[in-house]
Amino acid sequence: MPERARRAPALSARARLAVVFGLAFAFASVQSLAALPALWLIAGVSVLASGRPWQILVRLRGAAVLAAGFALVLPLIAGEVVLAHLGPIALYQEGALAGALIAGRLLAIVAMTLAILSPVAPFDLVAGMRGLGVPTLMADLALLTLRYMDEVAAQLARARLARRLRGGTTGWRALPDHALLLATSLIRAQARSEQLWAAMRLRGYGAGLAAPAATLSARDWAFVTGAGGLALAVIWMGRSL
Amino acid sequence: MHLPDGLVPVELALAGYAGSGALAAMALSRIKRLPDPSAAIPRAAMLTTVFFAASLVAVPVPPASVHLMLAGLLGVMLGWFAVPAILVGLFLQAVLFGHGGLTTLGLNGLILGLPALLAFGIWRAAGRRWPDMAALCAGSGAVVAALAIFAGFVLLGLPVALDASAERVALQLFVLAHVPLVMAEGVIVLVLLRVLRRTAPQMLAHA
Repeated sequence: MPERARRAPALSARARLAVVFGLAFAFASVQSLAALPALWLIAGVSVLASGRPWQILVRLRGAAVLAAGFALVLPLIAGEVVLAHLGPIALYQEGALAGALIAGRLLAIVAMTLAILSPVAPFDLVAGMRGLGVPTLMADLALLTLRYMDEVAAQLARARLARRLRGGTTGWRALPDHALLLATSLIRAQARSEQLWAAMRLRGYGAGLAAPAATLSARDWAFVTGAGGLALAVIWMGRSL
Repeated sequence: MHLPDGLVPVELALAGYAGSGALAAMALSRIKRLPDPSAAIPRAAMLTTVFFAASLVAVPVPPASVHLMLAGLLGVMLGWFAVPAILVGLFLQAVLFGHGGLTTLGLNGLILGLPALLAFGIWRAAGRRWPDMAALCAGSGAVVAALAIFAGFVLLGLPVALDASAERVALQLFVLAHVPLVMAEGVIVLVLLRVLRRTAPQMLAHA
């Protein structure tokens, strides 16, 4: 806990969300391979500055597999100009360029998103969404979803374990079992979710999110302005290089 | 079935945000007409959590495994609430786990939100008279609709330098790989709604 307190985010969730969206769209607009190193540099610095590079790298696994898929498959199937022959397999230039560009943008966007938002607590994230104009109903939904996550995950894990211990079938035949398992979890979680919602409202939930969002600090403004300039530079580089 | 970041042009991604925004605004205006809109929030949040958790779970379908979408189930159980629920689930998946995409959130919202509303429409039209048939069609139909919208966005978004025939072959393979999911989700929604109709009918709007 003291470790967490020392690393409490100094920047508001609202500023972080605005920066993440701005940079993500700037990264997505890049059309030139020559601009990719700049994207990776920004993403790498964000990951290092987050103070938790290993956790972020672990969470990048899924995106890395997908990026590798694009980079490896597109050169094999798409294009007309043959770049090289690997035995009977031809590697096409257009596919290789498109695969590298898609994979490069994907990894940079996911790494930067996780790095900038991972220090933010879930409630602050929802308050940040609200501050950016997301409707209250959707902010409530997001907060309760996060609140129920452990509850539903535990229900599903218990039901799955019980099914395995009873020697449940596998493959296609297991589909009705999966549905029953889901139904049982839903019915149990429904009752619990209504109790939790009532308890949250009795404890005054809603007042925090309904209150007007706090003004951005000078540090937030500096962060947003700097990132905005960086996003514009990325857009310019991505279109002109 | 998510479009990842970096795949589609930024113009298409922005158009996706505009489309999803319009869909969410329409859904929220319908929800506001309910006598007590906040009363359904706990159930919607709980189902969003299930959608979130289930899309991370693989169902074994030999020789591989598929990930559940549950857009049809959300549509049947939540109606118009399914649209904000899906958008919230996709946003949390993107920012907490790096699944899906942040720039493609709008497009992914349309890929899952429109099929959820289609499933809602099927259940509303036929759920009372032919509940089993409606459940099967809602579950399977939502996956088919999501596949069609996904394929459309991919065809629109891939670089023009790539030859169209390769794109088409890749998409056909992708669709074929999801045929088991079409059947699996139909069966899952059918069995699940049968159980809920018997044991907790209050959880279904048209049970």
